Amino acid sequence: MPAGEPVLSVRGLSACFRTDLGVVTAVDDVSFDLSAGETLAIVGESGCGKTVTSKSIMRLLPERNSFLSDQSRIIYHNRPRRRAAAKDRLPPGEIELAHADAPTMHHVRGARIAMIFQEPMTSLNPVFTIGWQLDEALKYHTDLSRRGRRRRAVEMLRLVEIANPEQRIHEYPHQLSGGMRQRVMIALALCCEPDVLIADEPTTALDVTIQAQILDLMAGLKARLGTAIMFITHNLGVVAQFADRVLVMYAGRVIESGPVRDIFHRPQHPYTRALLDSIPRAGNRHRGRPLATIEGIVPSLLNLPGGCKFADRCPRRRENCVEREPALEPGPDGRPVRCYYPHHEPRVAEPGGRT
Amino acid sequence: MLTGLKRAWESRAARKFRRNRMAVAALAVIALYLAVGLWVLSVDGLKALGDSTGWWNVRSAPLVDALSTEQAGAVVGPLEEPGFGIKPRPEERLTAVKARLDDLGKAFRLRARGGEDREARIRAALAEINYGAVRVADRPVEELRAQWEAVKRQYDTIAESPNLDRDPAALPALRDLEAATAALFTEPGGVRGFLQDFRLSLGTDRQGRSIMVKAVYSIKVAIQIGLVVAIVATLLGALLGAAGAFFGGWVDYFVVWLYSTLSSLPDLVLLGVLVFMFTGSVFDDVNRPYLSLVPLYVAMCLTFWIGPCRIIRGEVLKIKELEYVQAATAIGFSRLYVLIRHALPNTLHLMFINFSLLFIAAIKNEVVLSFLGLGVKSGTSWGLMIQESTQQVINGFYWQIGAATAFMFVLVLAFNILSDALQDAFDPKHVG
Ligand SMILES: Nc1ncnc2c1ncn2[C@@H]1O[C@H](COP(=O)(O)OP(=O)(O)OP(=O)(O)O)[C@@H](O)[C@H]1O
Ligand code: SF4
Ligand SMILES: [Mg+2]
Repeated sequence: MPAGEPVLSVRGLSACFRTDLGVVTAVDDVSFDLSAGETLAIVGESGCGKTVTSKSIMRLLPERNSFLSDQSRIIYHNRPRRRAAAKDRLPPGEIELAHADAPTMHHVRGARIAMIFQEPMTSLNPVFTIGWQLDEALKYHTDLSRRGRRRRAVEMLRLVEIANPEQRIHEYPHQLSGGMRQRVMIALALCCEPDVLIADEPTTALDVTIQAQILDLMAGLKARLGTAIMFITHNLGVVAQFADRVLVMYAGRVIESGPVRDIFHRPQHPYTRALLDSIPRAGNRHRGRPLATIEGIVPSLLNLPGGCKFADRCPRRRENCVEREPALEPGPDGRPVRCYYPHHEPRVAEPGGRT
Repeated sequence: MLTGLKRAWESRAARKFRRNRMAVAALAVIALYLAVGLWVLSVDGLKALGDSTGWWNVRSAPLVDALSTEQAGAVVGPLEEPGFGIKPRPEERLTAVKARLDDLGKAFRLRARGGEDREARIRAALAEINYGAVRVADRPVEELRAQWEAVKRQYDTIAESPNLDRDPAALPALRDLEAATAALFTEPGGVRGFLQDFRLSLGTDRQGRSIMVKAVYSIKVAIQIGLVVAIVATLLGALLGAAGAFFGGWVDYFVVWLYSTLSSLPDLVLLGVLVFMFTGSVFDDVNRPYLSLVPLYVAMCLTFWIGPCRIIRGEVLKIKELEYVQAATAIGFSRLYVLIRHALPNTLHLMFINFSLLFIAAIKNEVVLSFLGLGVKSGTSWGLMIQESTQQVINGFYWQIGAATAFMFVLVLAFNILSDALQDAFDPKHVG
């Protein structure tokens, strides 16, 4: 698939939960495109709706107490592409997922859009060998023979740089370390050659050296397989190094988006800027001074303020900010931003990162 | 498959289990019981097949035939004889002699009615006297009769003696009498003799049936009921509980409502009512003994699924929040598949433990129901044996109730030890 064409277009996605205190909108009118081979990072404070966004796309939200609004559109662009013996049961063209039926989702999940989770310790079923679990996914989504599936499972484990894949295939999850389990999870997610990989904080539960290894692995795989990655993280250092584009979320809304360099060099939204200033960095700029933090807390979804959701914490707030919520519109440098008084000047600091 | 077994054998839980000596002994006992149960079952099967096809006759192989439904109902000796060959009180020894002499007397009395073939009729009656393998000695009728009369006179003189206990001459005389009585019969030798000793080893019941054979035969009944009920009830409970927990909503409401309602009734009442519903149906037909256990199965399965259901429901509620269940859904599998293939296997240890608990519960409840007259209707069982022995206990005859209780006790104890050990072995919180 040519790079640059969107594989996934999300339009006006709103996800709501029915709670005892009323309906809360955890994700409100989120739109973005994900192109083939691109890495999109979604950043934002805890509770801002990153996980809900990714689970909405996979349609993994609990059906009992949640729903997507009628206007929500999640369009998967199914373009013909050569896959290793995939059972192609989806019609070519645009497939709408937000209100798709269960069979469509069974064919999309895992085969076209795959997901890896935060907690590698509990993401694999403890009673089956990893070979069994890989085989199960391949059996479901591909026409490969028994032998072919086995070869592919070994190949996938080798791809995620697990030593001795022929032996490891017979091992149970508890025999593997956390880092290895996350590698297996990646192998499991990629074994059916999906177009999109959603990674929800895939390295948060791992220690720093393993994190770096897993990230390098994912970057390498992305380059090799051309999978679009939707990457959810708290770690802006990782974003700077790994992502192509960034989506900044606050209180369930997209507040700014753009290429990674622009976000780091010329953040327009006060929240993005505050977020970047709160990254600890090597070097002497911060020596002797406390790290910048964002005062205040995220507003509760149950009683969101009427105007700008960031108003309580914003240093640039003016009178009219609290009256009406700003729309997501092109800002000073042309990128969309949800703010009445966005920053014009570039940020002085270098992009943060693991240095 | 083989590597899987090897892995299981080398797993931490298995190693821990093997280190527990009591548990291994309990497992051996259970294996023995299972083997006996299977043996009885297959002998019955072989016999039925042999009878209908004529390919073989199991009865001609006494060792094979020793334990079967037929043997459990066969008369093997005088009524209510104590076991271990013990005849503790002289009165009882005298009673035993009298029982044998009376049996012979009944046959000889046929002669008084006269007729052409009286000789033959007496012969037939004598041949029918059958204490297991012990038969009336094969001698001419007249000779036997004379001998019998002599022994009877000998008996009468001793029976007249007012106090057998204190008379020093009485005991040797009694021994002589017993020897003389034995001479009227032919004791079998070899395998048949050994089997006869085995049959009399725990005495006989009120109809002269072997208590030993009955108790051993009842193992089959107990294991049949235990296995069927434990397997069906555990699976039923697990499926309902898991489905309720996994799908939630009205499925869960229904499951919880069902087990709350059922468990508000006392188990025994529910069992009694359910069994009672079958009275008079095909399952209550003496001509279809193979159906007679069905009411017990149904009643117990409908009652016992509640325990496993509760436990498995709780566990699945926990498991379904774990990420591997979400991950499996993210691979694309349907919810039903994820439930059966991913959630349920993770409750297997709980199913094992519930299985062993239900196995015991089923055996114990069979006894209670049989005692109340609602249980096993054909053949015998520990419950029926205990029920029969109520009158015997009043007379001071404890062999039947003792045997039934001991056999049941060993099995129940072994299963309790086993399920304790299994719980320990599988519990990840117990280190070691
Ligand atoms: N099952 C649910 N029921 C009700 N509200 C929910 C549910 N799941 C999420 N939410 C709400 O949605 C909001 C967004 O949650 P989400 O998990 O997407 O945050 P996040 O950005 O992923 O945070 P984190 O960085 O901590 O993972 C939360 O504030 C929470 O209140
Ligand atoms: S709209 Fe006003 S309050 Fe909101 S972020 Fe912009 S400046 Fe701050
Ligand atoms: Mg999250």
